Amino acid sequence: MLLTKTHLLAASFMLAAGYTGTVNAASCCGGGSASSLILPKFGRQMIDVSLDLESYDGFWNSDAVHVADPPGSSLNQQRLNFGAGYRISSNWQTSIIMPYVWNDNQYAGFSTKTNGLGDAVASIWYEAFDAITCVYKVNSIADLKPSIYYGLSMTLPTGVSPYGDVQNSFDITGRGFYRLDASLLLDKTVFPWNATLQYSYGVYSERPVNREYGNYIEPYDKNLGDRSLLMFSFGYTDQTEKLGTITYTLAYSELEEKTGEIDGQTDPTGGLEKQSLAFTVAMANFDKDWIYKLTYNKATDGTNFPATEIVSLGVSHVFF
Amino acid sequence: MFFSRMLSRKLSAVLVFIPLLVLAGCDDLNPSSADLRADVVPGSDGVQVEQKALDFTLSDTLYTDVTLSSEYPSADAVVLYFTMWCPICDSHMSYMRQYVVTNYPNVKFYFVDYVTGSVSASRQAQQSNGYTDFDVLVDTNHAIQELYNATMGTVIVMDSNGIIKMNEDFKDGSKLQTVLALLP
Repeated sequence: MLLTKTHLLAASFMLAAGYTGTVNAASCCGGGSASSLILPKFGRQMIDVSLDLESYDGFWNSDAVHVADPPGSSLNQQRLNFGAGYRISSNWQTSIIMPYVWNDNQYAGFSTKTNGLGDAVASIWYEAFDAITCVYKVNSIADLKPSIYYGLSMTLPTGVSPYGDVQNSFDITGRGFYRLDASLLLDKTVFPWNATLQYSYGVYSERPVNREYGNYIEPYDKNLGDRSLLMFSFGYTDQTEKLGTITYTLAYSELEEKTGEIDGQTDPTGGLEKQSLAFTVAMANFDKDWIYKLTYNKATDGTNFPATEIVSLGVSHVFF
Repeated sequence: MFFSRMLSRKLSAVLVFIPLLVLAGCDDLNPSSADLRADVVPGSDGVQVEQKALDFTLSDTLYTDVTLSSEYPSADAVVLYFTMWCPICDSHMSYMRQYVVTNYPNVKFYFVDYVTGSVSASRQAQQSNGYTDFDVLVDTNHAIQELYNATMGTVIVMDSNGIIKMNEDFKDGSKLQTVLALLP
């Protein structure tokens, strides 16, 4: 297929906008989850590898007040994410992301390093457009039409959860629950500017629990609360001398997870909120089939959630 | 070009085999509701429910030694909550303060800090987290945490005879309330 410059630019925007990164994690909260990965239009397949370096600096309590970590503590998680995307047809694509997680937690009187698989995410996306909507100039209302994606993602409890054969909370690399997310993604590029809006709503599947941190206990049923994610981003692309691109993207996201249930009763101690800002610099080559990304993500506010900073390094390769 | 073609072929295989490998080794993919708790001899020494709690002495954050067995005679029960000063711990401790402690004035509640490693650091964490109204025991070398197979959020309840009535995660606090309500 002959790819035009517009096609390639659209590809670089989608990849640069950060749709191949991870969302959040926290070893004490059972993190290590990945988000989804989206192929650009006319991309046949894609592989993506990224490394997240996440550090914790206290947390926001249930009153949204920031509380410092204990003196002398250094709490970190690293995630190596392997992702692959595959186009099923001209409008359908699927992907899977598998994270491997290292927890490195040091307190003044306690130190632990563990590692293991995180929770995998398998996704399927429908593209509700047939032609690239990236334009250089707006000449009519039709030129403002965005690319619309509808997605379903299944988070699989492949990580180490509190309900498995673990000794303590520091071993956790996953949450232990299946979750189904429905997503809507709007993406519009008027070169050199780009904007995206994504909303996802996720529902966990209730599960039985008969073990906590390696100890068998009286069985009960548990479910986590519904989860919503709202994210929007703005990007700007510059061309390099060799006709590659550098894209700068600023993104804001709001994540909320409602309180869950234990044996059908509301768990008042659950639920969380997190707001974060992310800045991404992505470099693409002339063919736009290699993209290198550097992202800095900082949680700016929240409740029941650690204050985190994440530096992500990633590389994507697209097969057109 | 050769590299790209090779990667493309490998990618299809990866998409198929990674999920299969993962599905093969994860307990949580097929969780069980079976009750697999081991039988214990009631009154024997141990850390399971209905066993006699193993005794210990720890300093609190005001440098006062607290011996577990010395607490039983003057209380209806002793409650230990293991904390590492994290968001989940804070949520649990806040709930205990708001909904549990006031209902049981003759029960002794202790938070056990097993991560800070010193009395002074534990006191600092206690203050910055806003729990100076609670007694915090400092498990300096996390020996008690290991002795009781405890971790973040573990609650252990002992009655006035030192018999363990609960040893599991705090969850939503309802089990703790139920256990305390059943005390004589």
